Amino acid sequence: MSKNEEKKLRKKAAILSAKNGIREGIIDFLKKSMDRNIFDAVLIPMRVPADDSFTYVLIRDKNLLKNAFPLPPVMSIQGGKAVSSITRLGKSNIKIAAVMRPCEIRATIELTKLGQTNLENITLIGIDCPGVLPLSDFLNNPEEGMRLFDDAVSRWDDRIMRPVCQMCDKSSMIVGDLHIGFLDAEKDSFFIISNSQKGSDVIDKLSITPQADISSWQTKVEKISEKKHKKREETFRELKSKIDGLDNLLDTFSQCISCHNCMKVCPVCYCRLCYFDSDKVKHPPEDYLERAKTLGSIRFLPDTLLFQIGRMIHMSLSCVSCGSCEDACPMSIPVAQIFSMVADETQSMFNYVSGRNLEEPLPLTTYKEDELHEMEDTHG
Amino acid sequence: MEKDKEDFMPKILAFLCNWCSYAGADLAGTSRIKYPPSVLPIRVMCSSRVDPLFVIKAYLSGADGVLIAGCHPGDCHYEKGNYYARRRFVMLKKIIEEIGLEPERLRLSWISASEGNRYAKTVTEFTEKIKKIGENSTKNRIFL
Repeated sequence: MSKNEEKKLRKKAAILSAKNGIREGIIDFLKKSMDRNIFDAVLIPMRVPADDSFTYVLIRDKNLLKNAFPLPPVMSIQGGKAVSSITRLGKSNIKIAAVMRPCEIRATIELTKLGQTNLENITLIGIDCPGVLPLSDFLNNPEEGMRLFDDAVSRWDDRIMRPVCQMCDKSSMIVGDLHIGFLDAEKDSFFIISNSQKGSDVIDKLSITPQADISSWQTKVEKISEKKHKKREETFRELKSKIDGLDNLLDTFSQCISCHNCMKVCPVCYCRLCYFDSDKVKHPPEDYLERAKTLGSIRFLPDTLLFQIGRMIHMSLSCVSCGSCEDACPMSIPVAQIFSMVADETQSMFNYVSGRNLEEPLPLTTYKEDELHEMEDTHG
Repeated sequence: MEKDKEDFMPKILAFLCNWCSYAGADLAGTSRIKYPPSVLPIRVMCSSRVDPLFVIKAYLSGADGVLIAGCHPGDCHYEKGNYYARRRFVMLKKIIEEIGLEPERLRLSWISASEGNRYAKTVTEFTEKIKKIGENSTKNRIFL
């Protein structure tokens, strides 16, 4: 897509009514789209029956849309995983709209590059993200959590959100086919911005005229991103001093109970069998005895640091800083913050931003003949 | 203590590609070029066969240095393996640097089958450097 075309598409922002709140407005938009057969189904978060959490559901019956919750206060399931479950073996045979946060869409895009999703019949709809609460905080008192979340969203205040959300400078990044912007809109309306041909087709079919000027939304987004980017740098500076060096790393990771939850919930850790769950890391008992002999003693389960660094090697280039790993860590190790920090560095080496677009190849699947010479024949 | 440091002979794990660097090492041997006995070579079919995990595993198991050597860019037996190897190496080194481990213990070099001298020089240089840094401290950490 040329720069000009891109601009033209971006400009197409339609205003939709949200008289009864943003949530109702989004549901109404999805319902209309289903009425006109633009989508056969919608993949969207919904409250679980016990009322204490949220999960993704694929809604085919449009009457059930009223229970949808486009902006849940927690991220219990990463949307990328949901899309991958539906399309990992090939394109979906029905047209699906997936309403997700930007980091979930970015994970979906990464998974597509990794051959784990097929987006042919999927329309990705992103939404301005205020962040989410730490899962454990919310579960302690869901009712209070919901109230606090609503209150924080109304003031766009991220102080109660997860640390990775507080420092997320891509919270309104337009990455899907459509993006729902409500940061700056009047109380009773929101924007829908198209970002691809697929996206503008939806708007055309709904016969809503894209006429809204989104420049003030963009300014606001930029301001927020800038603030969060500063916070990011600050957090990383502090974090780096905490984990820097072997002993600090061991202090941070030696609490690890080797549950591998961080890997299991990670949207971009797609392998059916993780190397670290495989027999490859189950060494013969004599090896452990030998290691105990050389070192004087050996910890069980061993190789926690190998697992963490190994995971950085495997996924840091695709990490979208969604924070799922940190939510899932029973030992409250700041995994997501550490991984985000490493990911920012490795990705910037290749001028890559995970999930930014589908066209950019994964850095390790491509190369330039003339590059990175500064890393050859040096040590240090 | 000072004496210990002088006596210290690093253990360097060297992943040498079958087509260039291993042959280069072989040439260094058959030409009787002198270089420190610090290297434990592992022959791999291509520098791109080296999974960054091998390197981390070696580092955490106490290797004082890890050398990856392959054909010069453009000369790869498989045409582009070493380009991929370079990208992986760069990523690995960045990770190591970012979490405050010791990137200076890792080295990537291009050594062709005719460069016995270059192999000896690389090993000598790298060994000297690691002698200066000292032993890998993972050797005496039990909570790895």
